[in-house]
Amino acid sequence: MQCFMCGTEVGNDKVCYNCGADILLYKQIIYTSYVFYNQGLEKAKVHDLSGAIESLKNSLQYYKYNTNARNLLGLCYYHTGEVVRALNEWVLSKNLQEENNPDADRYLAEIESDPGLLTKTNSTIKKYNQAIEYCKAGSRDLATLQLKKVISQNPNLVKAHQLLALLYIQDGKYADARKVLVAANKIDNNNTTTIKYIHEVKARLKEQNTGKRKKKNDVISFADGNETIIMSENSFRSMLDNSRASFLNILLGLVVGLLICFFLIVPTVRDNITDENTKTVLALNEELKEAKSSNKALEDDKASMQSELDAYDNKQDVATSYDNLLAASNYYNEGDTASAAEYIQLVTRDVLGSEGKKFYDNLYTLIAPSIVESYYTDGNKFYLDENYDSAITNFQKVVDIDETYNKGAAMFLLGDCYRLTGDTENALKYFEKVVEQFPNNQWGKQAANYIAADDTSLEASEVGE
Amino acid sequence: MIDFEEELKKYEPAIEVEQAEEDIRARDLTDLTDLLYNMTSQQQSGNTK
Repeated sequence: MQCFMCGTEVGNDKVCYNCGADILLYKQIIYTSYVFYNQGLEKAKVHDLSGAIESLKNSLQYYKYNTNARNLLGLCYYHTGEVVRALNEWVLSKNLQEENNPDADRYLAEIESDPGLLTKTNSTIKKYNQAIEYCKAGSRDLATLQLKKVISQNPNLVKAHQLLALLYIQDGKYADARKVLVAANKIDNNNTTTIKYIHEVKARLKEQNTGKRKKKNDVISFADGNETIIMSENSFRSMLDNSRASFLNILLGLVVGLLICFFLIVPTVRDNITDENTKTVLALNEELKEAKSSNKALEDDKASMQSELDAYDNKQDVATSYDNLLAASNYYNEGDTASAAEYIQLVTRDVLGSEGKKFYDNLYTLIAPSIVESYYTDGNKFYLDENYDSAITNFQKVVDIDETYNKGAAMFLLGDCYRLTGDTENALKYFEKVVEQFPNNQWGKQAANYIAADDTSLEASEVGE
Repeated sequence: MIDFEEELKKYEPAIEVEQAEEDIRARDLTDLTDLLYNMTSQQQSGNTK
């Protein structure tokens, strides 16, 4: 550290060995300045801006080169709406410490970057000063209007809030005064003037609420938007009574409306709903009837189409039957009885004409033995393979054509197939026919044995061909 | 009880932008270190005599 008098390096000495200056006292002054700065900083942090301003001013009275204190003082002024004062502090700060003063640089740069700010601020300040003049001249109404404008332009100007509150207090508008003071308190929450006015307003309001009974013609004022309405207490009471009567009328109207709704509208709506339901049911019934008739028509169409299809099939069958009949005739003439038998069985006799039927019957008589033999051979083959169902089909065709074929063997084997498939009734029926027609041959005797013993448990192999 | 007139006296016109420079020039920037400097100077000059 250097001596503040001669600039000699003094270190931690209390007195300068060169000039004898009191270094300790100098240090104490600087130290005190920083103590005040710290106080100001703490107060500023909790929005006690007026307290902070006082501490920072003290700090600078001790040591004007405390740049942090000066910059913070400017910031506090700025926040309470005193822009010009803030600007002055930052300009001074910059002059006293030109180098290494980034905060002042930044604040000044911000103000310079907004050229309209100073114009607007100046206009606000002029209005505020004019309001003070109006107050001193006794024109409180004009002053009030002017201050309202000032606050709308610069809402942080605490002084304007305080002066407006003072005017309201003077005019007996304590509620308005309280509103303005609360806003001021939000900006600077420990301002002595604001607190003093708040106490005053509270005391006056308390007097109004709990004090002596007001006279009957006391004046009542209340805010309606931006307007303040003033009326006598009697008028106010009568307005309240009217409001009560209006409210009762509205309530009564609502009740009547609800009753009308329940007794007139609801039943009508219900009837309408019932009618709608009935109509829906009837419509559905109609639709069902239509669907049924449509279904019947479709079925008729289907039947007629089926009959047309059958007729068409018959037509087809006629041609095919004649072809097959011709083929059978040709094969028979060529001596191929097996092929002839095969083709004649594909002919549908009923579709043939009378001549065709005659031709068919003649040819069939000629081919029939071959057909029977073919069925009988196939039947035997299925019988031996124990495929009794297929065997029954073949033996049945043989028996239908010629019951006596092979001296009753076909009929016996048909009965035996029924026996082996458990159809005793049919088995007995054919055994009895065999016994009746061929009582003396082997088939007749065997059938008689079965009938007599009612022995249906014999194996087919035991019977033989 | 607030005396309106007395309170009103406390409200002074705010500094306008045009007056800022004048205000800075008029500012007394003397601090305690300046006083100490002056006192020490006077003391030293007295001792010299």
